[in-house]
Parts: sequence; structure tokens; C-alpha cells
Amino acid sequence: MNEVFSFGSYYPGDSPLHKCDARTKLTLGFVFLIVALMAQGFAGLGVIAVFVAFLYVVSRIPFGKAMRSLAPLMAIALICALLNLFVDQSGETLFKWGIIEISTGSVHSCLFVGCRIILMMMGMSLITMTTTTLDLTAAVEQMLHPFARFGVPAHELGMILGIALRFMPQFATELANVYHAQISRGAALDGSPVKGLRMLSSVTIPLFASVFRHAETLSAAMDARCYHGEEGRTRLHPLCYSKFDAFAIAAFAVLVCGVVAVNVLL
Amino acid sequence: MIDCSNVRFTYDGERFVLRGIDLHIADGEFVCILGGNGSGKSTLAKHMNALLVPDEGCVRVAGRDTQDEEYVYDIRSTAGMVFQNPDDQLVASLVEDDVAFGPENLGVESAHIAERVKQALKEVGLVGFERHETHALSGGQKQRVAIAGVLAMEPRALILDEASSMLDPRGRKGLMRVCHELNDRGMTIIMITHYMEEAAAADRVVVMNEGRIACEGTPEEVLTQADELAALNLDVPYSCQLGLALQKAGMHVVPHVNETQMVAEIVAKLSEVGKLGEAGHAKDIDPAFHATAPAPSEDALLRFEDVFFTYTKSKKERKRKKLGSKPEERAAWGNDPNEVWALKDISFELRRGEFLGIAGHTGSGKSTLLQHMNGLLQPSRGRVLVGGEDLADKKAAAAAKARIGIVFQYPERQLFATTVFDDVAFGPRNLGLSGDEVEARVRESLSRVGLSIDSLRDMSPFELSGGQQRRVAFAGVLAMNPEALVLDEPVAGLDPVARREFLELIAQLHKQGTTIVMVSHSMDDLAAMCDRVVVLKEGEIVRQGTPAHVFMHAAKLNEIGLGLPAPQRMAYALIDAGAPLSADELYSIDSLAAEIASIAEGGAR
Repeated sequence: MNEVFSFGSYYPGDSPLHKCDARTKLTLGFVFLIVALMAQGFAGLGVIAVFVAFLYVVSRIPFGKAMRSLAPLMAIALICALLNLFVDQSGETLFKWGIIEISTGSVHSCLFVGCRIILMMMGMSLITMTTTTLDLTAAVEQMLHPFARFGVPAHELGMILGIALRFMPQFATELANVYHAQISRGAALDGSPVKGLRMLSSVTIPLFASVFRHAETLSAAMDARCYHGEEGRTRLHPLCYSKFDAFAIAAFAVLVCGVVAVNVLL
Repeated sequence: MIDCSNVRFTYDGERFVLRGIDLHIADGEFVCILGGNGSGKSTLAKHMNALLVPDEGCVRVAGRDTQDEEYVYDIRSTAGMVFQNPDDQLVASLVEDDVAFGPENLGVESAHIAERVKQALKEVGLVGFERHETHALSGGQKQRVAIAGVLAMEPRALILDEASSMLDPRGRKGLMRVCHELNDRGMTIIMITHYMEEAAAADRVVVMNEGRIACEGTPEEVLTQADELAALNLDVPYSCQLGLALQKAGMHVVPHVNETQMVAEIVAKLSEVGKLGEAGHAKDIDPAFHATAPAPSEDALLRFEDVFFTYTKSKKERKRKKLGSKPEERAAWGNDPNEVWALKDISFELRRGEFLGIAGHTGSGKSTLLQHMNGLLQPSRGRVLVGGEDLADKKAAAAAKARIGIVFQYPERQLFATTVFDDVAFGPRNLGLSGDEVEARVRESLSRVGLSIDSLRDMSPFELSGGQQRRVAFAGVLAMNPEALVLDEPVAGLDPVARREFLELIAQLHKQGTTIVMVSHSMDDLAAMCDRVVVLKEGEIVRQGTPAHVFMHAAKLNEIGLGLPAPQRMAYALIDAGAPLSADELYSIDSLAAEIASIAEGGAR
């Protein structure tokens, strides 16, 4: 039922990638995106692909599981790739029908963009698959911390993000339940717009009501467990850099050099 | 440990919810607080860990006044609290992070937190669940995680605010076991509940009514006072009911809150009059326990024919899952999406005008089964027929939604419209009825659930009380004018009065001619109300037939873990001890008491 929400969800393990600090992973993820955008040819993408494959091996995440959780996003990659098919018109024309024109250049850029986006997604989803949401939120919180003096509520943002992620699967289940209940009362999305609108509100309003209900008890439950903001708070798994972070940075240095070298040499 | 003296409290400054509570709870005590909805018991609980502070009087926890802001976190970590709903008190996605939340807030060092988390999970019997995702746990497990989260703060008292009311019997049993184990090790337990069997196991019972303590004492003292409890809208435990019924029939027995003691008492009395025979033979297992589908009958409204259903779509995946060597850890049984078959070979029929009960654990496939009844789900194999039409046909499936009305669990959560009228009218309007017809349907269905359209018409459903909301939701389904009403645990999460009222309402709807299907965890309700019962286990029907037929097989039902209706359970215990009761009758409390009394009298003559 909740297949959609399995996208990039955490896969428990204790590989070196799991052990890397979440801040390192976020920063290197950003670097990875830039590197992927830097690559100018298939050779560059090849280097990146090898690197991503290497990371997947290191992370010990079963390939099938990773692919399944990525599948929904492939649609985006496909759409981007198809758009490129019609935009780039360089090279020899292969096919022409009205305004639609496909050339060697467009095929090339279509494939190139497709591969690049897929690689980017595969790389980035490694972060969410090897990092718990709590660590991620803590990392976001700490990375935002320098901005706290300018009034950015770093801790609160982190907490909000964490709770939102925690309740995602729950709301998905509740949405499904309400949907079934309303369908059982003869609601349908097809038919007149008025009927459709009524159907939509019959599903979303109970969900909002439930959000408020949950929020009320959750806040009482957090109070009962002595939550009082950031002050004096410790963590079960404090973020700390380890040798794995050094390895990760070194590995990325190799990647950057590799891609730059390929760009320059070829 | 906890001292309340003359506590008064009001939310709105006008009406006092607590009106002078004096309560002293000693260290290491197991106290149950009983009371109907609105008796102020949850408000009192919130005073015990400083979530609320009294307007008058004072509450002291371990000698510290809750008014004193300096000690607020001391108090909250000394008297930890577990809430009612398992779904909204866990803060983190992973079990260990959630358990660590309390100590993290208290500023405990990381290394110590890890130790505390490990210890707390051990105490609630969830070792090895550290890295599990909280949303994938069962309700009972979630509540135990919540308890672990409190234990990690190293409290001296544990307050459970109706923590078991949304759990199934199995989850409730696990929760009770954890509480008693903790109590044995010296933890003070304050349990707010409306389950009598839980109260019966406490050291002391406190009954609240309208913001005051109505009576308190040991369970034996309090729970045997049938008249007073009835006046307070509470039930008497079944064993006490039996004892009281026997007293009425002229036997000199002392009612006990504990079934074993009650049975021992009756056995002793029977042996006095020389009416005790050889140790019994109640556990005979009928070789024909296996389910047999009834022959198709003419008046079947709904028929399942060899229905299989799986959530895994492709055949290949199914095969792979079947061959997969390692069974999924969290799917010991149940409705896990990874389960190969959620329904296996289901065949049964619902006859016009009957009252069919469906019993089974959470995860036994009950919800999946219900969703097949009006075509929300289509079987992977087999057929579902409504009035002879196969639901595989889209038109038949659409028509079935009006013919079979399903009221899902906690139906009040589907209310959405701005007025009660609009909400109930949602179904009829979807059917495309005219304004007059819609009006008539709404009026009729509201009156059938005992509500008046004139006073509620323009009210927002969200302003109503919980029980009224559920009635409105019932009406919303009834307004579709269904031939059969399917109810998924219609009394889940209600207090005893509301439970009784709803069961009466359902019985009345049945009397008016509506065919009823009721899913329930309560064997007592099913035995008392149903014409026929279907027992599900792991997606298969293991038994179907009349209640007498189904509940006559103690050993088998216990194996499934569903248990028996209480009177039947006591009757079998008596037979085992040698009481000459007939072993093939389905007893109610009254018939059991009558039979025991007649045996005893026969001996006296």
C-alpha cells in the first residue's frame, strides 16, 4: 500500500557508508551533484558510473531493493531525457515529421541527459538509504547552526523535518483508509467536477483533522518526556567524524580528479 | 509516591473537571483508576506528571510540588506517562531513537543513553527491535516502545492513560504482562482503564465519577458491587457476574474478581454437597474442526467462492517470496504486504437477514476480507458474488457499494462535511438522488442511529462527542440504504456505557431487518449476538458455524489465541474440576449460573 513511500527509505546496515557522518554525506552529495553536472561526455559519466557502482558495493545494499525504491523517480529522468530529444537539433537529421525533428545530436543529448539524471538520483538516494532520518535532520540542524545567530531556528527546523518524516507513512495509511471509506459511500473521482471536488474534500478534510489530532497528543507526549527545546539536549548517536569520513573525502577527491582529467583529455 | 490533596481543576474557568480529589499512592503500588468517559480520570493522570497543574489543592510527586516550575522535569522523569493512541506518541522513525528521546532531553551522556535504551527495550520484551521502524510495528508493540521510552528516563512510577484501549486482546495481554513484571520489580503503576479484567489484577481500584472519587478499595471490594458499578456506568467482571447470579439463585458463594478463584470457590461448594464427579473431559477435540463451506443456498446475499488474494502483484514475485529462505522478521503472522497470500481459499456466504460474526486477530486478513465485500479489492483468484452478480464486473462492483455498506474501524475519522446533514447526505448524493429523497434518507438514517435531525442538522460533526460522531458515521453508511451492513470492530475504543449502547443499536438494526456482519475481537459479544461465526486465522477460515458449534472447541480456539467467551471458559474449567455440567452446551452467565445452582440444589435434596 505504501510503495510510494519506500523511495530512498533507510536500509539498515553497518557498512562504511552507513558509518560516515551525515554531514559529510550531505556535503559530498552536493559535491557529487556538481561533479555530475561538470562531466561533459559519456567518458566522464562512465567514471561517475564506476564510482557510484563502487559506492553501492561498499554500502552492501541489495541492487534489486535499491532499484525498486528508485523506480518511481525514473519517470522524471525519462521525461527530462525526452524533452532533450526535441530541444537539441544539431548533427544529421534522422527523422522529421512536422515540427518534430530528431537528429543525431538530439539522440546523443537525450541519452546523455537521461544517464546523467539517473546517475545523480542513484548517488543521492544512497544518502537517504544509508542515513537514518534522525541523523539527516541532525546534520541539517548542525549545518544550519552557523545561521542561528541570524535568527534561523536551526534546531526547530531539524525537529520539524524529523517529525514530518516520521509521520509520512502513517498519513499514507490513514489516507488509504479514508479513501476506501469514501469510495464505499459511492464517491468517485470521475463524473462531474462538483462531484470530483466533493470527493477530494471528503478525503483531504479528514486527513487534516487527523493531523491536528495527532499534533495535539504528540505535543503532550513530547512534553511528558521532558522535551524543552535544544538547551541541554544530548544525543544517542552524536554526530562525530571518523576515519570513514576521511576515506570518503579521499574517494571523492579521486572522483573529481578523474572527471576533470577525462574532461580535459578527451 | 504521589499525593493529591483536594485537587480541583477546570479547563474553561467555569466547569470543574476535578472536584476535590484526595488520593495517596504508595511506592510500589499497582493502582487502577476506573471511570466512564468524562469522569476526569485522564485529567487526573495529567496532573500526576505536571502536564497540568491544579487550580486549587496540590499534587506532590515524590515529595515535590508540581506547581514548582524548577522541578517540572524531575517530576516528569519520575512519573512517566504513556498515552492512549499508539500512533501519535512516538517521535522518531526508529525504535532506538524514540526510546532515547527522553534521556536525550534530560541531557544524559551518549554512552549512558545507549545503555538505558538497551535495558528499557529488554524490560518491555523488545530486544532486537532497536533498528526497526516504528510505523511498521503492531499497536501493542508501539505501546511497549512508548513504555520503554518512559523507562529510559528511569522513572519510579509509570502512568498509563488508557494505554490499552486501542489494542487488540493480544496486544493488551502483552502490555499487562509488561506492567506486572515492572510492578514486581518495584515500579509504581497507575493504570487508567475501562477494562475490568485489568482492574481485577490491580492492588487497589479507584473509581472516579464526575470529578470525584466515587469509591476505592481492593478489586474484591470494589468490583463485586454490581449495583454501584452499574450506577457509575461500569461493568462487573464476568466471574463476579457469575458469583452474583449464583448468590441470587440461593447459593452461598463469595463473588471473586479472578476466574480461577471463582471456579475454585464453586468447586468447593459443589464438593460440599457431594456433587463433584471425576475430573472432566471438556477438552475433547472434535476431529471435524476444519471449516466446511456450506452448500450454496437460495437466499445468499453475498458469497465468497474459493477466494485467494495477495498484495504482491506479479506471479514471479510471489514465487520468489515463497521460495525465499528467510521469513520476514516482523511478519510472524498477518497482514504484512510481504505475505504471500493475504487470503487463502475463503468460501462462505452471508444469508439475507442473518447476523454474521467474523473473529480473528489483527492481521488475520479481516480487513482484506471486508474490502472484498463491496469490490474495493478484487480477488486474485476465485469469485465474490453479491446477489448472484460477480464483482469482477465493474457495474456490479459499483452497485455493490450501495448494496453492502461498510463501516470501517473508527468511522468517525472519515467525517468531513461542514454540517451533519451534508456528511450523511454524501452517500445519497453520490447515488444521484434528488433533493427530497436525500432529505428523507438523511432523516431516516439519523433516526435509525438514535439521533434527531432537527437538533443536529446544521451542527458541525466535529463539535459532537466521540460517541455521537460514530453514530453520524454509521448514519452516513445507512443512508446508502444498504441491504447488508458490515461493521469493522464497531465498538473499538469506546467506554463500557458507549459499548453497550452501540451493541444495542446494532442488535436493533438487525431486528429492523438489516443483514449484519460484525468483525470483533470480543468472543463474548460474538457469542451473544451472532447467528453464525466465521473464524479467520492467517488469511484462512478455520471454523464457521453457529456460536455453539464454533465455541465448543476450547483447545483449538486457544491454539489460535482467540480464547473463549468467559462463561464457556469457566464452564470448561468447572468440568475439568469434575463438576457435572453438560459439555456440549454454549453457556451464558445466566444459563451457567442456573445449571450450577440446580446441580447444587439437587445435591442438597
